[in-house]
Amino acid sequence: MSDERTPGSPSGAGARSGANEHDDRRDGPLYGLLAEYDTPGELVEAARKVRDAGYTEFDCYSPFPVHGIDEAMGIKRTILPVLIFLGGFAGTCGGLLLQWWCNAYNWPWNISGKPVWSIPANVPIGFETTILLAVFTSFFGMWIANKLPQVWHPFFRNERFNHVTDDAFLLGIEARDRRFDAEATPRLLSEAGAISVERVHLDPDPATRQMPKWITAFIVASTAFALIPFAIAAKARTSHSPDPHIHIFPDMDFQPKYKSDTAMDLFGDGRENRGEISGTVARGSLGADDTFYRGIERGADGDHWTTKFPQQLEINEQLIKRGKNRFEIYCSPCHGYDGRGMGAIPQRVAASGGAWQARNLVDAGNPVAINMPNGQLFNTISNGYNTMMGYAAQIPHADRWAIVLYVRALQRSQNASLDDIPPDHRSGMQMPEATP
Amino acid sequence: MSALQKSLHPDEKYKAGKLGQSLSRIGLVIALVFLAISVLLGWTKGDHFKRFLFAYVIGWSYIFSICVGVFWLVMLHHLVRGRWATVVRRIAEAMSMAFPVVFVSGLVFVIPLVAGYHDLYYWAHPDAALCLEPAAAACKEYLNPTLLHKLGWLSPGFFAGRYVVYGVLYSAMAAYFTKKSRQQDETGDPKLSEDMRVASGPAMIVYALITCFAAFDVLMSMAPKWYSTIYGVNFWGSACVGGFAALGLVVLGIQRTGRLTHSISPEHYHDIGKWMFAFTFFWAYTAFSQFMLQWYGNMPEETVWYKYRLFGEWQWVSIAMLVGFWAFPFVFLMSRWTKRIVPSLVFFAVWQLVFHWLDLYWNVMPSYDWLTLAHGSASVSQGPLAGAVLEHRVGFSPIDITVWLGLIGVLLAGIGRNLRGNLLPIKDPTLGLSLAHENL
Repeated sequence: MSDERTPGSPSGAGARSGANEHDDRRDGPLYGLLAEYDTPGELVEAARKVRDAGYTEFDCYSPFPVHGIDEAMGIKRTILPVLIFLGGFAGTCGGLLLQWWCNAYNWPWNISGKPVWSIPANVPIGFETTILLAVFTSFFGMWIANKLPQVWHPFFRNERFNHVTDDAFLLGIEARDRRFDAEATPRLLSEAGAISVERVHLDPDPATRQMPKWITAFIVASTAFALIPFAIAAKARTSHSPDPHIHIFPDMDFQPKYKSDTAMDLFGDGRENRGEISGTVARGSLGADDTFYRGIERGADGDHWTTKFPQQLEINEQLIKRGKNRFEIYCSPCHGYDGRGMGAIPQRVAASGGAWQARNLVDAGNPVAINMPNGQLFNTISNGYNTMMGYAAQIPHADRWAIVLYVRALQRSQNASLDDIPPDHRSGMQMPEATP
Repeated sequence: MSALQKSLHPDEKYKAGKLGQSLSRIGLVIALVFLAISVLLGWTKGDHFKRFLFAYVIGWSYIFSICVGVFWLVMLHHLVRGRWATVVRRIAEAMSMAFPVVFVSGLVFVIPLVAGYHDLYYWAHPDAALCLEPAAAACKEYLNPTLLHKLGWLSPGFFAGRYVVYGVLYSAMAAYFTKKSRQQDETGDPKLSEDMRVASGPAMIVYALITCFAAFDVLMSMAPKWYSTIYGVNFWGSACVGGFAALGLVVLGIQRTGRLTHSISPEHYHDIGKWMFAFTFFWAYTAFSQFMLQWYGNMPEETVWYKYRLFGEWQWVSIAMLVGFWAFPFVFLMSRWTKRIVPSLVFFAVWQLVFHWLDLYWNVMPSYDWLTLAHGSASVSQGPLAGAVLEHRVGFSPIDITVWLGLIGVLLAGIGRNLRGNLLPIKDPTLGLSLAHENL
């Protein structure tokens, strides 16, 4: 259609062509004038002239942002940046408030003794909520400020308007502008260099300008429908019910399988668990060496805990280091790094007002652990002692022995005197501080 | 008006003329006067120029970082086919061409290091080397386990070698873009723009690596046992704040001489301000990232670096950094108008240039104090750190300022050397777009 464009004609009807003839037959009241300009520069100049002539109800349409058009049209700068700043600031405060309320006020929870309210830890969340609300304000504020979404506009009836997303630079003046004049306004637009000026009429049927009723009904219905889950949740919070839970996926909640220690009719003993078959040993599970696997020495005078280390192990620095490493992973949470029984867990008990500490492994005053033979220490690690559970499932045998060795080293070092240190090393005892 | 292209104003003065020579002369005078005072002050301290050299490393990092910042704009402009910066690109090129002068001036601390001076970098100290000998087993176990494996990298000879490599690479890259750009002034060949665009990608990678490593070597090795992998990025953020602030001031200075008055408008200052704003936040973002991970991880070998900076007198410097280098400029530079109204932008440029220096001071100087304390204080052996930290002093000294000003003089002399010929890339195909640049 664009190739049929003709220079502007104030009379309007003569300039129209092609598809617009269809609209002519059923034109309603005049909506406004639509003028087309050849370049963005001419559009800006025309906008300036229209504004200078005192018009207020007009707008410019272009395929891309045109520099200087806001100023030419006399549009004030948007206040959106200020709103975005306030939105972001609200996000910062809201994010910090949320964390304070959750972590420090409503449900304070001691995590490894860290403070429940600490600004550095809260900065990342505060940062995220700042961005979130600033972006929301920016995005939705832009829609509101531009009166979007606008799905229909009277200019859509004009064929020329279809090119506004491609190559057309248009200026539209609404007929309701108080300076609008059927003679003078088209002349103004033409004198500003318009290549065409067209009259755009509303559809004669007012119903076409209304939103269809079914869309309204759909929006209302879907909004009401979306509130149902919230309503159910609200009801559940304030009422009691004897009914069992609703299982949305019952086959996931009740899976056809047996878990350990459950009943099962298939076997004679009624248990699901199948124990070892008597008279058999699983591969690699023989453990015939009592000293290595159980810490026991069998002798003519009966069985007793071994006081030595199994011969399979070579006692060297590497083994002590392995023992230290394992000790710090498995034992230190209760017994502490120094073996004195005040690890992180007893400290936390103390912090919450209780009093409990693990066995002091190195206490010369109450030398229970010091006097235990190696084998008994090994057995304690394997099978537990009082409230301490056994670690046989977690720590391999050799590592348990390494821990025994390290505990022996701890017991010696924690009760050491200066005489235990070789003379040539004593001068180095005055250590400087740790340095950056 | 809304033209997409604009041609050069007929009355525009875009020839440098004597501008470069007079700037060099002024810079040289400032450098000589203030460095002479500094040497005198350093000598009167009677500490074998230790204080002088610490101030010198800070000052050198300062002028180096400004070159790093503006050179980034030159490369970025080519890499993304930028438009707005074409009118200031020649000035940025001239500033980045100060790299050779900057690296020569840095020899003042590199040569003593190679010659066996060990009070500046702890890792060059005989104590550090002593730990390599089996006799000092205790030292090995307790004092320097984390330093031990770094001493191969942190040896004076290798350090100096890397320093030369950095200097050559920066200078060569800056020279390449400047040379091609000036060539275009004569031929107007648009293919030269394409050449620079192709070169800017690899150049950006080399630049990123050597900037990181230069920051590790010159600044982070001040505390050789401490480490942070984001350190180089954080330094770069601070460097770009300084670089764009300095660019704004140099552009304004040139306009004050009556040159480029028609070509460079508040639109271009606005864009320089945007970058300053962006890097102000970027610096804070990376600085906080570094801090938070180490604070949360709470490992002694990492937190000790912050312990020296967040307690005692140093905590006030840290707070000043948070408020002065980030919060205040961040809030005020956010507005469109503080960047478009040139006096306001100048205020923030000067402000950020001062705080950029404070940032470097904050990075380097606690190591000076620590060395003094570690070797001289009796309270050190009592428990881990606590006694020493409380004694920590900020210890501002006039020598910090005089060395700083002297090295700014060196930078100005280096910039002036290259402010010659055309101050605009007059035949650059994007010049018209840049002249017509408008921020929406």
